[in-house]
Formats: sequence, structure tokens, C-alpha cells
Amino acid sequence: MTTLLETRALTKRFGGAQVINGIDFQVTAGEIRCVIGPNGAGKSTFFKLITGEHRPSEGSVHFLGRDMSHVLPHERIRMGMSIKFQIPGVFPELTVRQHLQLGLHRARDDRPESLDALLQRFMLEQEESVLASNLSHGKKQWLEIAMAVSLGPKLLFLDEPVAGMSVEETHATGELIMRLREAGLTIMVVEHDMTFVKQIASRVSVLHGGRLFADGPLDEILARDDVAEIYLGRKK
Amino acid sequence: MNQLKSASQRTPRAGAVSLAIKLVPWLVAFCLPLVVDGNTSGNFAYCLVWAFCAVGLAAMWGYGGILSFGQTAFFGMSGYTYGIVTLNLGESWISSWAGLVVGLLVSVVAAALIGYMIFYGRIKGVFIGIVTLSVTLVLETFMAQTAGPQWAIGAARLNGYNGMGDMPQLTIPWPGGPLTLENASFYYLVLALLFVVYWVTRKMLDGTFGLALVAIRENPQRAEMLGIDIRRHQLLIFVFGCTLGGLSGALYTIWGSYITPSTMGLTSAAMPVIWVATAGRKSIGGAILGTALLVWLSQYLAIYGSQYALILMGAILLIVVLFAPEGLLPFVLKLMRSLATRPQTPRRHGPRDAFEAQKGE
Amino acid sequence: MTTLSLLYSLIYQFGDNFAYLVLAALGLAVIFGMMGVINLAHGEFIMCGAYVTIITAKHGVPLPLAMLLGAVAAAIAGVIIERLVIRHLYDRLFDSVVATWAISLIVQQTMLLVAGPSLEGIGTPFGSFSLGEYSFSTYRAVLPGIALGILFALYWLFFKTNYGVCARATIQNAKIAQCLGLRTDRLYTLTFALGAGLAGLTGALYAPTMTAVPTMGSNFIVQAFVSVVVGGANVIAGTTPAAGILALIQTGLTASYGQLFGQIGLLVTVIVVIRLMPQGLGNLFTRSR
Repeated sequence: MTTLLETRALTKRFGGAQVINGIDFQVTAGEIRCVIGPNGAGKSTFFKLITGEHRPSEGSVHFLGRDMSHVLPHERIRMGMSIKFQIPGVFPELTVRQHLQLGLHRARDDRPESLDALLQRFMLEQEESVLASNLSHGKKQWLEIAMAVSLGPKLLFLDEPVAGMSVEETHATGELIMRLREAGLTIMVVEHDMTFVKQIASRVSVLHGGRLFADGPLDEILARDDVAEIYLGRKK
Repeated sequence: MNQLKSASQRTPRAGAVSLAIKLVPWLVAFCLPLVVDGNTSGNFAYCLVWAFCAVGLAAMWGYGGILSFGQTAFFGMSGYTYGIVTLNLGESWISSWAGLVVGLLVSVVAAALIGYMIFYGRIKGVFIGIVTLSVTLVLETFMAQTAGPQWAIGAARLNGYNGMGDMPQLTIPWPGGPLTLENASFYYLVLALLFVVYWVTRKMLDGTFGLALVAIRENPQRAEMLGIDIRRHQLLIFVFGCTLGGLSGALYTIWGSYITPSTMGLTSAAMPVIWVATAGRKSIGGAILGTALLVWLSQYLAIYGSQYALILMGAILLIVVLFAPEGLLPFVLKLMRSLATRPQTPRRHGPRDAFEAQKGE
Repeated sequence: MTTLSLLYSLIYQFGDNFAYLVLAALGLAVIFGMMGVINLAHGEFIMCGAYVTIITAKHGVPLPLAMLLGAVAAAIAGVIIERLVIRHLYDRLFDSVVATWAISLIVQQTMLLVAGPSLEGIGTPFGSFSLGEYSFSTYRAVLPGIALGILFALYWLFFKTNYGVCARATIQNAKIAQCLGLRTDRLYTLTFALGAGLAGLTGALYAPTMTAVPTMGSNFIVQAFVSVVVGGANVIAGTTPAAGILALIQTGLTASYGQLFGQIGLLVTVIVVIRLMPQGLGNLFTRSR
């Protein structure tokens, strides 16, 4: 049971506001960890601290046992992190194939079979030569996840992967993510959609007011009253 | 319009036609000196000399999204270096080629230093343009006041606005005595260099390096999260583009045996931007063709009434920016394509049609 | 006595450089601050003001009125250019830089054709005075004062008038300003005209001190964007102190090494400042519209 990612007393202040408040957090290899919490709890900031976009005011992030304090974002990617943002981040003038080529090249894997395997796994075979700007919303999200996966990462971050998706698309995405886990990927997901969380999560961490409020297996967390309280009205 | 074409997309027949279209201008260019006299060949060479500068800017701007106003600075640096080296080393063929090589090296080093400061200093957007423009102005201001005799490097006087001249041209060793490359022979040298540069640039930009550049240009944050080192890519394309500007400068100096600070001035700095913006900055071949044509046009106008040349250039640029920001060539191509695919069936106009039409935008 | 006159000579130089930097920068800063547009035709508005001033003064119009006419002419030209060209490019700020460059080229060359390579100036008014062994132009000694006066007027305009409030609201958040019913398009036209008019005023003020050539704008534009880049687009709180610091640097370098190094020193300062403060200056440009 290796710890892939760890944060120790991670804290972030923006001016006078304490957005992240001393979080100790671990992700074990092979799990799907869902991070939930009401809006403003600091989930996106937490992500950005881990990927290196923000520098912590205090505390540290450790990946594969190494202290990431002086490691730049693109170097962290090289080490095995991969992220899919909340805001759609495709390249409008590139085709689906070119998106995947970008990632595969980074992973030093230029074999055509790898590209075809990705297209198949993410159900994008029909759209191979389509420009990303012409894809439907759901397919754009899948393309982004595919891009993140094409890097061959050890740890995959998904920030609200099913935002804006229909019920069927959400379920299909859930299946996709579980298959990724079976293939050996460790995945960390931020999501609001509780049906989706129930579908995929092994463990759940609850963020509230910049702190780690609760942390444990899915059923345990969902059964707690205090979690339901801070999360009032959020359950789908 | 997807500027990076994958070979698998094209049918074999379409591929052959496209290749033929690409080769035709080269063939025509190759045959030109055979049908015109030496002097005219020399003039054509003059038009082509500027193309390197344009290719460099197109690569930096169209692919990398870096608008540099500094092409003329490197133009001047390499040009003056050629003069300094050859005026000091003498008339031998070694001296002339050394001048060219050293001239290019000077641009490479300068571009690397300036580029490092810009990209590793996280300067972005228009401020890159401002810094490069400042560099150009500093250089011009400096060179402009070097008219006095104390401003000399070895045997080469910098000469301020009087210009540095009388430097030897490129020569190659030849059985009967060194052969000066001028007129037709110089034209072929430039054409050969241009072909090599075109091929190398295409190779580089069509591969994953070019892909990464486009990604950086369109969504730098996402590109970084794909593990792409943005600064390194930008520095590389910057050095590449600026060095090509230097190549133009060195060849220009060789062509005319003359160089002045006005080639580095504010007005001159606008020229590459005009050519590339007009021809379409995302097309390397287009940049070459457009530059050659526009330079030829200004030369032609200069003979018949020079004052209008620059006004026309400015007007062209303005029209292009307002109405065809992708460039004239792409605009015309798009127009032709849309004319060719006009629907044949009659349409009924209704609210649904308007909605569909809007979606199609 | 000689040290006093030397001291005054330095102060005079400083004031002269300061006035030049501030006046050159004002119009550019106003337009950049409001719309994020870097108006490379700025120099041509200055030229316009200078030419109109000289021509009307030569026809007997009293100098102050001629200067006013110069400024107004430039403002009108600004309105025309904003409506015809600039307003189509607010969502394409890169292209607006190139477009204004094109306009600058066209105007310069047209003026060259129409008005010839130079226009004989009108003499500098008020003569000169001397202190010790140095003699100074009274007019140029007064210019810094005029520059400060204009700055105060601008401060009053931006902070004490309705236009000022609307303008500052639009700078800070154009979308919300629109939702509040502010006619942002008219505001942009007015502001561009203000910027152009200020440039014209600069040209008018300097007209008596130099020979008018069609390319005279180029001299000003270097100083202008140096001040704007170092100081930021905030005219009062940014450009003014920036001009002060730059004038110090320039005066110091010129006194020690000559005119050329003063000029180069300015340009190097731009590069250094951008290098050291890319975030601060960059934020001004990435403004949501």
C-alpha cells in the first residue's frame, strides 16, 4: 500500500484570507479518491497547490516520496501527475488526434497502436479528425481526460469531470473512470454530483472552510450527519 | 483552417496535386534567371533576400504567438557584423564566408540572451513586442551617432547614417580564380538557402514541436499541464526566427555591399510585420511568396513614384488587419472555397433557418 | 554664484526632461489605461497639433488660441480614427497595435507628400534669461509648470467630474459598467479623443521650440511609451512619478556621458522594469472587457 501523494500541514493564504488551513492528506496507489465539499471550501485551490500552480504559504506536498516545494508544474507532470481542469481546456484549432499526439509524445510513446487504443477507450474513434472546437460538450470532456491519460501518469486529477453532462454521459464517464482504475491508475476527483461520487469512489474526503473535515470509506462518510449538515441541499 | 495537416487525412490523389502546387513556385523561381538578364536576376535576388526575415517572423508570430518588432535589429546586427569581419579580414573567399557565419552567430547569441530575458522573465503578450521594439530603437539610436572616425572596429568604420560600405561580396574558390557570387549565381545561392530554410522550417513546425507551439499559443495553462516547458519552446522559436532575420541582413549587406542604421529604424521594423500580416502569418510558403511580391511591388513603385510606396504598404496593412486578419492569401482561399460550395437547392426562409445559420457560424 | 547657476542648470534640465516625458506620455497613457490600446499613431496626433498650431499662428492667430486649435484638431482626428478603425479592434488588442502602426505610417508619408519635408517653425516666445554663464529659454523653463497644470486639470477631470467617474468605472469593470447603463462605446470615443487631444496639445506646446517635420512624432513616441511602460497606465499615480524618475536618470546620464547615453539609459530602464515587474505591468493589459 504505497502512498502516492501526501500533503503535510498544507496552508495557503491569499492576502488576509486563509483559503487552505493545515491539511494533512494522503492518497494510496490504486484508489479512486473523491474530494467533496460545499462551494468555497477550497477544492480548486487545493488542487492547484498539489499541481504547483500555487505555492503554499506553509506546509508541503510530497509526491512519490519527494518534496515538491521547488518543483515546477511542468516538471511535476513529467514525474507522473496529470490533471484535467474544470474549465474546458482543449485547443480549438487542433484535431482530436493531435491532442492525443501531444500527450503521447510527452510520454515518448509514438506508436500508432497507443493512439488507437486511446481513441477506442474514450469512445472518440469517429471524431479522430474533428477539430476540438466542433466537439459536443461531453466529448470535449472525454477528450480532456484522454489527453490527461495519454501522458501515462501515475496520478490523475479530475476537476469536475461530469460538469454539464447528461445522466447517461455521467454514467458512461463513471464506467470509463473505473476501467482506468482497473488498468492501474490512481485517480483523485473533485465533484459535486453525488450519484457520480457514489458510482466511482473508494474513499471520500470532505473539505470545508479550507480544512479536511472528514476522510474515510464512501459509506462511512455518507452516513455521517455532520457531513450532511455542511452539505445541505447538495445531494442529488 | 487546421494549419497542421496530417498525411493520413489526404487521399493519394489530393496529396499529389497539393505537392505539385507546392513545387510549382520553386520550379518557376529556378527557371527565372534563364529568361532574364543578369541585372534582373540580381533584383529578384533582392526580393528573395527579405523572405528569410518573413519566414522567421511567421514562425514566431503565426505559430508561437510571439509578435517581435525586433527582426530589423537582428537584420542590422548580422549585416554590420558581416561588414566588420570582411573589411578586417580582406578579400579572400574565406573572409566572406566567415563574415556570413559570424554574422549569423552574433544573431543567435543575441537572440538567446534577449530571449532568455524575455521568456524566463515571464514577459508576455504585447510587452514582448515592447521589449523587442526597445532593443531595435536602442540599436538604431546607438548606430546613428557612430559617424565619427573614433567609431571603428579594426579597419571597419561604423559611419553612422553614412552607412558602412564597400565590403567584399561572397566568393567561392574556383579553378580559374575565385568566383564572385553575384546576379544569377547569387540568386541561385539565395534560392537554395531559401529552399533549405523552408524545408527545415516546415519539418520543424509540422512535427510535435510545432504542435506544442500551437498548444502554447492557444491555451498556455493547459499546455503547461501537459508537461510542455513553455519557456524553452518559446526561446527556441524566438532564436530561430531572429536568426533568420539576421540571415536576411547578412545577405542584404552582401547584395548591396552597404548597410545603414535606417534598415533598423521604426519604419523598417514595420515592414516584416506588414509582409507577414498580409500574406498570412500561419503559412510559411505564403510568407515567402507574399514577401517577394510585396518587396517587388515597392521596388516597382519606387521607380515610378516612391512616395506612394509606403503609403500603399500602410494602407494594405490596415485593410488586412481590419478585414482579413488571417492574411490576404487565406482570406482569398476561404472566399474561393465558400464560393465553390454554395448550396444548389432552394431554401425556405424561416425562423429555424436563421437558427441553423447562426449555429453554423 | 557659479555653483548656483550649475545647480539651476541641472534643475532646468530635469524640468525640461520631465515636462517632455510627461507631456509626451499623457495621451498614450489615457488611451492605454482606458482601453488597453497601445496607440502607435500617438506621434502623429502630436504632429497634427504642432502643424495646426504653426499654420494658424502664421496666419495671425494669437499663439494660445493657435495651440488650442491644434489640440482640438487632433481630438477631432482622434474621433474619426476611433470610429473608423479602433472600435472594431477592441477584442483584438494585438491587431490594434498593428493597425495604429499602419495608420502612423500612412499619415507620416502622406504628410511628407502634402506638406514637404519640413515646415518652418514659429519662434520661441518669451526669449531667454541668463544665470551666471548659462542662458536658458524662458519658455522651456515654464513648460514643466504648464505640464503640472495639465496634470492637475486631468486629476480634476477624472476625480471630480461625472465623466471621470464613468471612465474609472469602465476601466475597472467594463461589463458591469455597461449593465449599469453606461454607454461604454461613447465613453471610449470620448476618451480616445481626449488622448488624441492631449497629444495634440503636446505638439502645440512644443511647436514653438522645434522645426516641424512629418516624422516629429517618432521623437516623442519613444519617450511616451517609456513613461507609460515604466509607470503603468494610471496617468496621475503612475506616469507622473515614472516621468520624474526617468527624467532623473536621463538628466544624470546626459550630464555625465552625453545626450546619447541619456536616451539609451531610458530604453534600458524600460527593459529592466519590464523584466523586474512583469506581473504588475502585465495585469494592466489583461483586463476583462
